[in-house]
Amino acid sequence: MTASVAQAWLSVHGLAKAYGDTPVFAALDLSLDQGQTLAIIGVSGCGKTTLLRILAGLARADSGSVFIDGSDMTEATSQARGAVYLYQEPLLFPHLDVFENIAFGLRLRSLPRAVIDDQVEAMLAALELASFARRRPDSLSGGQRQRVAFGRALAIKPALLLLDEPFSNLDPQARASMQQLCKRLTRQHHSSVVFVTHDLKEALIMGDGFGRLSQGRYHAYKDRAAFCADAASGVQAELAFWRDGAAGLPPRDS
Amino acid sequence: MRHLAAKLLAALLVLLITLPFALLLLLSLTRHWHYPALWPQVWQADQWLVFGDEWRDLAALALRSVLLAAAVALLATTSGFFTSHAIALQGHARHWLALALLPFAVPPVVYALCLGQGFAALDLSGHYGGVVLAQWPFAYAYAVLLNHAYWTRHNLALHELAMSLGARPGQIWWRVHLPLARGMLGICLFQTALMSWFDFALVRMVGGGRVETLTLRVFDYLGAGDLRQAAAAALLLITPPALALLINPYLLIPAPLWRAQT
Repeated sequence: MTASVAQAWLSVHGLAKAYGDTPVFAALDLSLDQGQTLAIIGVSGCGKTTLLRILAGLARADSGSVFIDGSDMTEATSQARGAVYLYQEPLLFPHLDVFENIAFGLRLRSLPRAVIDDQVEAMLAALELASFARRRPDSLSGGQRQRVAFGRALAIKPALLLLDEPFSNLDPQARASMQQLCKRLTRQHHSSVVFVTHDLKEALIMGDGFGRLSQGRYHAYKDRAAFCADAASGVQAELAFWRDGAAGLPPRDS
Repeated sequence: MRHLAAKLLAALLVLLITLPFALLLLLSLTRHWHYPALWPQVWQADQWLVFGDEWRDLAALALRSVLLAAAVALLATTSGFFTSHAIALQGHARHWLALALLPFAVPPVVYALCLGQGFAALDLSGHYGGVVLAQWPFAYAYAVLLNHAYWTRHNLALHELAMSLGARPGQIWWRVHLPLARGMLGICLFQTALMSWFDFALVRMVGGGRVETLTLRVFDYLGAGDLRQAAAAALLLITPPALALLINPYLLIPAPLWRAQT
């Protein structure tokens, strides 16, 4: 569940961002407890990616503050935050094979070679990619690439994982498989996750807490029931669609 | 028929490329070859051995020219690569790239004349360091234009990804960009080295006679009317670039085309 902004592990106060004269969001408050997953829904272009990039330290907010585990990280570099941002596209280093892609973050930390080998092999096994260790990224399917990207992010045991519609380009089967894998591994690693998506089902599967970003405003839901009950979340319309569909009724205009 | 045409075309290209080399070699091996004779009247095969001290001097000059070209290439490629990244990160790339074209609108000799006074006042004339500084703007502008092609959205995203995974700036350049841009940086180093290697005007004007390069020496021989020595020195002049191209022919192909082929 999301905690109050003041005492949460991740807390964001009064965040505002605009591109020129176009505001993206303003006065955004957000909170997340350690080890929890916050699912944020919103239509394309509502500022979800901008929010994640600010949390990751890859973009600057115009105003507001970001606290992680009690420390003010508003001005901290991306490297200092311990937050990993996972792109919508499965972005892999093209000059490195699968093993080295997953090992990338570990090698930056100058860990002993044996430790890196053990951790990468364990991650490859968890991702069911052990036999692909020496494959180059361009010989992998979209789902496999996303698994590698995900494993590389988790390998460094990030305190905060920022997932930007990471499964949106996958087919339904691969998507369902990745959702389960993601839940299992983030729980194993006790990672806190902010997961943005425009897919309601995915938000309900992934989230412990829920929020909605719309027209520059962020709305945090008290719990899952509140999220499902809110007409603006779209859950009710979705339920009605499937209920009517199952009853053989035509979809309603909404 | 098509194969034959392709072979003929290839042979013609090889002939065009090797003809100047052959001609230089021929010139350096003759004593008398005057118009309208199609072939040298007198051969002097021992010409290359007669040089003696001259060869040692030329070799030392070639080494100094290589070091000068390497310094310019390294400085220009490094600064150009970082600058092209900075340009790619901000929103007015086209304006900056247009600015980078400006040095090529000024003939080097005019530029050298403009620099002359300032360099003399700063005591940079007559030094190799001064020549490096004078040649750098042209090579730098070229490096900025060439390296700009590397900074695609994908490669900028890889930069951010490495940052997000905890890489420090030095680690990002070393572990991500250097391996990915290796081929293009090789082209850039080679091309900017050539700009310095074959430069005459800036070395003459800024060097003030105290900085000598192989290119300058070839012109000196020509000025003195010594065609055979000029031909021999010119052969030495074109040997390093020819060897580099022999080792890696991709050094002449612009970055976007090079990437398309790999």
